[in-house]
Amino acid sequence: MRKLLRWFTLGIGTLVTAAGLAAPSDVVDGPLIRAPVSSSDARDLSGVWFIRLYNPQINSTLGRLPPFTERGKAAWDARVKAEKDGSPIADASSYCWPHGVPRVMNSPYPLQIIQTAGETVIVHEVAHNVRHIYMDQSHPQNPAASFMGDSVGHWEGDTLVVDTIGLNDRTWIDEIGVIHGKQLHVIERIRKIEGGQALENLIRIEDREYFTEPWYARITYAWRPDLRIAEYICEENNRNMPVSGHTAEK
Amino acid sequence: MIRNCRFKLALLVGVCVGAAGLAGAQAIYTPPPARNFEGVWLIQGDHSAIRTIAGKLPPLTSAAAARYAAAVRARKAGKPDFDTIQTCKPHGFPRILFAAYPIEILQEPTQVTFIHEIHHMPRMVYLDMTLPKLDEMDPNWMGLSAGHWDGDTLAVESQGFNDLTTLDAAGLPHSTQMQISERLRKLDADTLEDVITVTDPKTYTKPWSTRVTYRRQPGLRLKEYVCTDANPEAKAQTP
Repeated sequence: MRKLLRWFTLGIGTLVTAAGLAAPSDVVDGPLIRAPVSSSDARDLSGVWFIRLYNPQINSTLGRLPPFTERGKAAWDARVKAEKDGSPIADASSYCWPHGVPRVMNSPYPLQIIQTAGETVIVHEVAHNVRHIYMDQSHPQNPAASFMGDSVGHWEGDTLVVDTIGLNDRTWIDEIGVIHGKQLHVIERIRKIEGGQALENLIRIEDREYFTEPWYARITYAWRPDLRIAEYICEENNRNMPVSGHTAEK
Repeated sequence: MIRNCRFKLALLVGVCVGAAGLAGAQAIYTPPPARNFEGVWLIQGDHSAIRTIAGKLPPLTSAAAARYAAAVRARKAGKPDFDTIQTCKPHGFPRILFAAYPIEILQEPTQVTFIHEIHHMPRMVYLDMTLPKLDEMDPNWMGLSAGHWDGDTLAVESQGFNDLTTLDAAGLPHSTQMQISERLRKLDADTLEDVITVTDPKTYTKPWSTRVTYRRQPGLRLKEYVCTDANPEAKAQTP
């Protein structure tokens, strides 16, 4: 906060005042690169965002583990038992594979949204994951299974709706290790809230093999005008760790 | 206009807030045609052993020439231990520019982003940044890139590299002192040229340049490339 005030004295305060906004919501501890609030265009999501209140267990609106089918429960129990027995099952991120959807959206690293005609791209700092969301397109018929799946998007009012299928079964739903299969179907509803200071992602997770019914998770991200996406190389044990989103040496 | 405004501080505040208030539908930035590099591109020709624009071996210092010769021998012997991509570590910059895999370019008013299919590696070229001093930088694989428009040419300066990578598959070396200048421009609607100048007094006796062209690939989407997985695409080629 002190640093933020220091930057205010350099003239950025004028902008905040003019925009009629109070101080940004999360910690801001670097010089601003962008305006302190994201564009007032509700469909302009471009810029750097950073998860709030990261929880290794994705924030299910149920507040507990999802409704497992028998197969889902067996997979979960096997994973938990393996960990207890001292031989944990390694997940995709341990192999430096892409994190998959929705897990990559639940990561304690910054992400940058880039919007061009026809495509919304999300560049994630974590393990340089990149999501390609093709706008106003249909999924290909029977897409080959991949870590990041096939994502298409469209606007419903000021909400970006992203539909993802074609995921392989080698990633987890979240860091605590909820398992899913190849039938996983993820629908994200992403919109700006709090006057552009934050982004909300309401995630619908459906996989009839592993969950008895669709369930939802809600994640919010703070606008971070002070961040650029740093280099993260999983293959060399990412030697830099972020502190409040800023890269610091280990 | 609106997106431009987001990045201009104090001076334009009144205008920006006013204009933004009137905005309706989403304003997607479209660069003017001659500066529009958006889309998916693929390198032309084989650049596994790069040469100067005149087709000569770059002006290596004698110590660097010995390192290069050792790398060429190691590659010939089938043991290119110098090559970071053998263990799925990044190609580093500028070697990734020479890889025979598609590159998608995305443009915003203050940033040009290159997404390389190989290793799904992004590179941001910031148009709103001055590079820090080299000795104040923490070296990494891709360095840091700052660019500006010089007419319809995108001029990019990059530095802050580690010395674990080589400039090409053959093994041209470089040091942490390397600075890379690029001049990217469209030769025609479907051809992008990049003239790359290497300045590295610890490795080369003088700055030298090489040139590549990329061909637009209409309709092509980047595929998922996962080096650490049993990736058939990765195994097919080692660019």
